[in-house]
Amino acid sequence: MLRQINKYLGKLTAHGLISNPGDAQFYGLDDEIYSNRDRIPEVVRALFDDLNINSLLIARPEPLRWAIIGELIRKRPETISPSDSESLTFIHDIPVIRSFDAREIAGALSRRKGCIVEGLGIVTAGSVALEQAFIVFSSICFATFVKYFADMLSALSGAEGSPEPSPEEIAACRGYLSRIAMNPMTPPLPGSLPTGETEIVSAMDAAGKTVVAAGLVDSFFGNISAREGDHIYISQTGSSLDELEGHIDRTAMDGSSTCEITSSSELCAHVRIYELTGNRIIIHGHPRFSVIMSMAGGRLAFGDTRHIGGVPVVAGEVGAGARGLVHTLPEAIKEHQAAIVSGHGTFVASDTSFHDAFVRLASIEEMCFHLCIKAVNP
Amino acid sequence: MPELFSHTGVFIDLGSQKARVERVGRDISLACLGGRGMGMHFLGMSPRIDALDPESPLVFATGPLTGTRIPSSGRMEISAFSPLTDTVCSCSVGGGLALQMKKAGIDIIHVKGRACRQCMIMIRDGEVTFEDAPPEEDLPLSAFFERLKPLGASAAAVGSAAFKGCRYASILVDSSFASGRGGLGLVMASKNLKALAVRGSGSSRRQALDREAEETARRDIIRLFDASPFIMGRSGISAYGTSALVDLMASYRMMPTANFRRTFFEGYRAFSGPVIREQYRPRPSACPGCPIACKQKSGIEIPEYETLSHFGALNENDDLAAIIESNRLCNEAGIDTISAASTIACLAEIRQERYTGQSLVDRVRSILGDHREAELLRMGSARMARELGEPEKAMSVKGLELPAYDPRGAYGMALAYGTSTRGGCHLRAYPIAHEILRKPVATDRFSFAGKARIIKIAEDLGVVIDSIGACKFAFLAASLEEYARGLSAVTGLPYGTQDLMRIGDDIYAMERHINSQRGFTRKNDMLPERFYKEPGSSVPGIDIPPIDRGEYEEALDRYYRVRGCNPDGTLSDERRKGLGTCFVR
Repeated sequence: MLRQINKYLGKLTAHGLISNPGDAQFYGLDDEIYSNRDRIPEVVRALFDDLNINSLLIARPEPLRWAIIGELIRKRPETISPSDSESLTFIHDIPVIRSFDAREIAGALSRRKGCIVEGLGIVTAGSVALEQAFIVFSSICFATFVKYFADMLSALSGAEGSPEPSPEEIAACRGYLSRIAMNPMTPPLPGSLPTGETEIVSAMDAAGKTVVAAGLVDSFFGNISAREGDHIYISQTGSSLDELEGHIDRTAMDGSSTCEITSSSELCAHVRIYELTGNRIIIHGHPRFSVIMSMAGGRLAFGDTRHIGGVPVVAGEVGAGARGLVHTLPEAIKEHQAAIVSGHGTFVASDTSFHDAFVRLASIEEMCFHLCIKAVNP
Repeated sequence: MPELFSHTGVFIDLGSQKARVERVGRDISLACLGGRGMGMHFLGMSPRIDALDPESPLVFATGPLTGTRIPSSGRMEISAFSPLTDTVCSCSVGGGLALQMKKAGIDIIHVKGRACRQCMIMIRDGEVTFEDAPPEEDLPLSAFFERLKPLGASAAAVGSAAFKGCRYASILVDSSFASGRGGLGLVMASKNLKALAVRGSGSSRRQALDREAEETARRDIIRLFDASPFIMGRSGISAYGTSALVDLMASYRMMPTANFRRTFFEGYRAFSGPVIREQYRPRPSACPGCPIACKQKSGIEIPEYETLSHFGALNENDDLAAIIESNRLCNEAGIDTISAASTIACLAEIRQERYTGQSLVDRVRSILGDHREAELLRMGSARMARELGEPEKAMSVKGLELPAYDPRGAYGMALAYGTSTRGGCHLRAYPIAHEILRKPVATDRFSFAGKARIIKIAEDLGVVIDSIGACKFAFLAASLEEYARGLSAVTGLPYGTQDLMRIGDDIYAMERHINSQRGFTRKNDMLPERFYKEPGSSVPGIDIPPIDRGEYEEALDRYYRVRGCNPDGTLSDERRKGLGTCFVR
């Protein structure tokens, strides 16, 4: 249990979600409570007594993310409703409570998987594994970040129902943007197509780690695949892209084995892209500014397309439902080997290498970042 | 108290052929939710009664979500003491009966007593009548349900196996939906009750108190279904039914084979989802109001994963037609397919036989025979193996035959088989969700670390699902968070997930307490010896060793502490005192 706690504290820090492991209290319960803290506070004991959970994370996000959350809760909302589709699907909304009180937190965690405690940080819980608390924490960080900038862009564009931001609010937003750095150093990826299972799995693992290190995906979202002949290697559902070893399925293009039931929920979209194009590699990330800019300009109707710097933006829900992105994304990706699903994330494809796909993903994000800066500094 | 959360029961005494309609006290309704919780409330009133005593209750109970717009919530629960295991037993069942009960203004049907001859109960709205059952002893259940069609009712019925004393006789609802496990069909037959039919004239749609919130919950759940590869993916259960699991379980080397002597069957592809699709072209079929549609039909009933695997791998049979025929025979006679397949596999091991497709079908047919072997087979594997002097060959826990997930391939599953209150059952905690299907997150299938609490929490959740009338498959995509919102919208009561989990914990603890009063202790929570001694079918990269008995016992100790039990598995005094008000007598 302690090994797991330290693993996720390391990931929180490495992903830039918290400044250092000391900013987080992680508790895991089997028949007793384990933690990175020597002493278990009474409020934590009370929460474990009161809730049917086995993991609890209390942490303050790194200063920029925490300041942005501060902007969202300044008007004292009872909940924050995310604007991106993945957060809407999986975390719905985020309760905001005002004090570190066991009863209040228990109430919030009885409604949702995590909450924001004013002046303290984010509190999240899980009932199966420590990973759940980590995932929800990461998801709340992502959802609040995207919402803040999406709302600001919406307000600046004079969208109906969006109050005009004050000069101070605009100045604050510019300040936050000025603190964000793009293009962190990442190790180079192979510049050619991998062949054979060992090489493909190894290349996917490396690509996943690079995408996470570059901040182009959070928590356990995103997926990666590679095609070889009539088979696809694809990351499993709920796998973390920086831990793909042992979590990659090899599945038949024609669906002749149902082992793919554990594959990514976007398997159908990947298959369709491979069927329509000559691509051999697909990476799907949730780069923050790509998601933010995909929502600027208002709601995109299912079936419609618009473009950001030549990259198509389409609508579509997660998965293979009637309004699933499987019906819109594959056609859109044909021409540019890239497309953004509005409010969701970016899909890039390549017929040459993981390096090529990764560069495309990163450059679209950089473009969107600069477009965001431009929109806030007209 | 909102009207939607006040249970109306029909209490029927078959001995006197009298019935009364009565509201259940509001505290009981609140503490039990419905379904399984309500069943346990009634079983808890006579915790030591013999399963086949005429006064032993048989309870049909709907959930508070039945008939609402909340997806996959049209199920109900049938509860009684099991004549197979002697434990508490309740089975979630689909079909239209729950909805007909709601339309008739009924939430619970409580049956006790014994009729002087085989009869049927007919309920039209609140009115109860008793009718003679058809005279033919061996009438197939499909033909029986055909005869009921003109009534426009939904019905639960038992077949010839139950009246021949089969201890794993099932109850079938609307011809296709089985309340399979634990032999509740024998309880029904012991009351001389052939069938229970209900027809209601009320609205088929229950109005939620907060329709907007109900719609939000519905939308959230559907979005999660669509995002789930297990449910709506191209190889999900919506496309293949549960046969989608065949390939996966084989690839994980945890498909019980040759009465659990191995964990991999070379011929598994013969009954995999894609092969069934190619040979039978089945269409999806659903319980009312369920968008998942996990059943598969093609003129004939396509068996569920458990049945495919057990009439297949467990009996070393790769003849798909024989599997389907065996399944049909069981459904026509009202027999639980898991127990039937496991019992004949046990007999094959004892006799050192191996079936062909035809001899498998013949052996299944022989369960209904009049000879000594048929009597043995109808006892279930545990009693039969004991009678034949080889009790270790019965692959059951508390007498309930294990389903098609080998515990050596998933240690949470191993622990859950042990702690399940109705015996070796995969559905009480369904750890396959996280150990294999990666939902809500993946856990290490070869480790007991953390599993004690995970299983305890999952058991509590299972009680809630069974008590509100929802389907367990829905919870492989959605969670209690969304269903709690739905329940709040429907009832007007502010349910949080933890409120419901506390109720789940209470009901599960009560089930354990009732079992303790019936003599069950720690020794009954152990697995068959084979799993501690014999390895499974390893392959490079997947090692399937025997389960370490010491580690299993340590996990069991931790589970007892988390559950509030003494080291012998009985509920501690402190936990017993804390049991919910509905169980205080």
